[in-house]
Amino acid sequence: MANRRQSVALGILLAPVTLFLGVFFLLPLGIIALFSVLTPGLYGGVEWAFYHWNYGRIFGWADGIIEIYEPIYLQILLRSLSFAALTVILTLILCYPVAFWVSRLSERWRLVFMFLITLPFFSSLIVRLYAWLLILKPSGLLNAALLALGIVDVPLEILYTPTAVVLGMVYVMVPFMFLPLYSAVDNLDRSQIEASLDLGANRVQTFVKVVLPQTLPGIMGGAVIVFIPSVGNFVVPDVLGGAKGLMIGNLVEQQFLSSRNWPFGSALSMIIMAVVLTVLLISVTRARKAGGHA
Amino acid sequence: MRNPIGWAGLTAFSLAFFAFIYAPLFVIIGYSFNSNPVNMMIWESFTLDWYTGLLGLSDRTTDVSNRAAYVESTGLMLAALRTSLTVALFTTTISTVIGTATAIALARYRFRLRGVYNGFLMLPMMMPDIVLGIGLLIFFVSIGMNLSILTIIIGHCTFLTSYVFIIVQARMAGLDPALEEASADLGASEWVTLRKVLLPQLAPGILGGALLAFVISMDDLVITYFVSGTGDTTLPVFIFGMIRRGVKPEINAIATLIILASVVIAALGLWLRSRKTD
Repeated sequence: MANRRQSVALGILLAPVTLFLGVFFLLPLGIIALFSVLTPGLYGGVEWAFYHWNYGRIFGWADGIIEIYEPIYLQILLRSLSFAALTVILTLILCYPVAFWVSRLSERWRLVFMFLITLPFFSSLIVRLYAWLLILKPSGLLNAALLALGIVDVPLEILYTPTAVVLGMVYVMVPFMFLPLYSAVDNLDRSQIEASLDLGANRVQTFVKVVLPQTLPGIMGGAVIVFIPSVGNFVVPDVLGGAKGLMIGNLVEQQFLSSRNWPFGSALSMIIMAVVLTVLLISVTRARKAGGHA
Repeated sequence: MRNPIGWAGLTAFSLAFFAFIYAPLFVIIGYSFNSNPVNMMIWESFTLDWYTGLLGLSDRTTDVSNRAAYVESTGLMLAALRTSLTVALFTTTISTVIGTATAIALARYRFRLRGVYNGFLMLPMMMPDIVLGIGLLIFFVSIGMNLSILTIIIGHCTFLTSYVFIIVQARMAGLDPALEEASADLGASEWVTLRKVLLPQLAPGILGGALLAFVISMDDLVITYFVSGTGDTTLPVFIFGMIRRGVKPEINAIATLIILASVVIAALGLWLRSRKTD
């Protein structure tokens, strides 16, 4: 920085974000890390002594006296990961054909459907989840329709099951998968597709060899954007899931608002954070590698 | 598309997809006009009572003795809405100022930590809200700060600053730095260049970022849930609480009004964007 006045200007511009995020973002994350290795107090709160059994309870080296290893925590972690993965796969299957379809529409209709897909971004998440509560209830719309059509004799028990949780997450996450996919599909080099077909490749071969590699960055982007908020989600399983749909986010919430075991809740949050950072790191290094080849 | 049958199938699939997205919203809107006060899943007859009761316009629905038609949420809902708007207004202002300053700094100055800042600013957006929420909760409690509307505003700003930053940065990338250089060469100070040359060009990006911040702030549930304490609650937290306690029919009317408001805001956003490209 040659100019002294310039570095003053830079300082003025950067000071607010540095201070704000330093105090209200980095510090809280640091406190979670610290609390996760402190002793839980008897009546909530913490005692300032190192304690590794918080993680031991989850991963299996609990002392067996005060802290008992319960495989349920690992099961819930695995369930959260698999629900999130399932959400990624289902949103991808739903969005890929639709992105293709929208990209082939005329200008006017493309604008209409792009507006329709972005509209849920602006509308309330909790309201949209509540709608599914109305639909999936035993006395709800879905069962009423199925009963009326004679497809089932007794109402289906969908609400408060893992199915309801995954369905709710797919519903909430669909726009996040759609937008990166759409921009990838829209940028497809169509002449390559035609060349592939003209040269005798069939549709499946063309899709696998030409279309898929070109849209892979969009798929990866969408997958990351959908996976991350899904894995730590606690609102969807809270509203639509029962005991079998419990996810790690619900565990964290319980530790803070009912069990009052903050160190254990912090340890669980550290695991969510570790998963998220791992996914981010993998996607960033992959993207960098792909960029290097291009 | 060479294959008309394939195209028809694709069209049917896509239309079903959009039906899947919108059907739940129409279900709520439909039920909000159902007069059955006991079981809202069973259609009785068309009524506007839930709306008039909610807005405090009707005597019948504010009559406590008439349990069936009594709308209890009016006062609480309006208070929650007021909190939501206050929070969103302050959050939007603060995060827009900080986010814009950051975007200008990172786009116009070369310094050693630039890459670090660019990566770091992605983190608040990617961090799951529950982790940020409990981190802030422990932090506020540890330093002895009471949970209030102020802690909600701080919580929202931590991640919305990044959203504004991204939007303004994108606009920044499309600007020609030569204009600012010309302004500096002609003797304008940094401050005058910023105000007269840079900010007017950035305005659509800043406006877009502010709108996004406002909308996300209005809708945030998780972070607010953890840092709001017992006093002030926002509209999403209020609705979340209603759903947990067991729903009453008036929630459909509240939800419908929220859907309506979001359609208006989305349309406004689209209109702004179309003006920007003109």
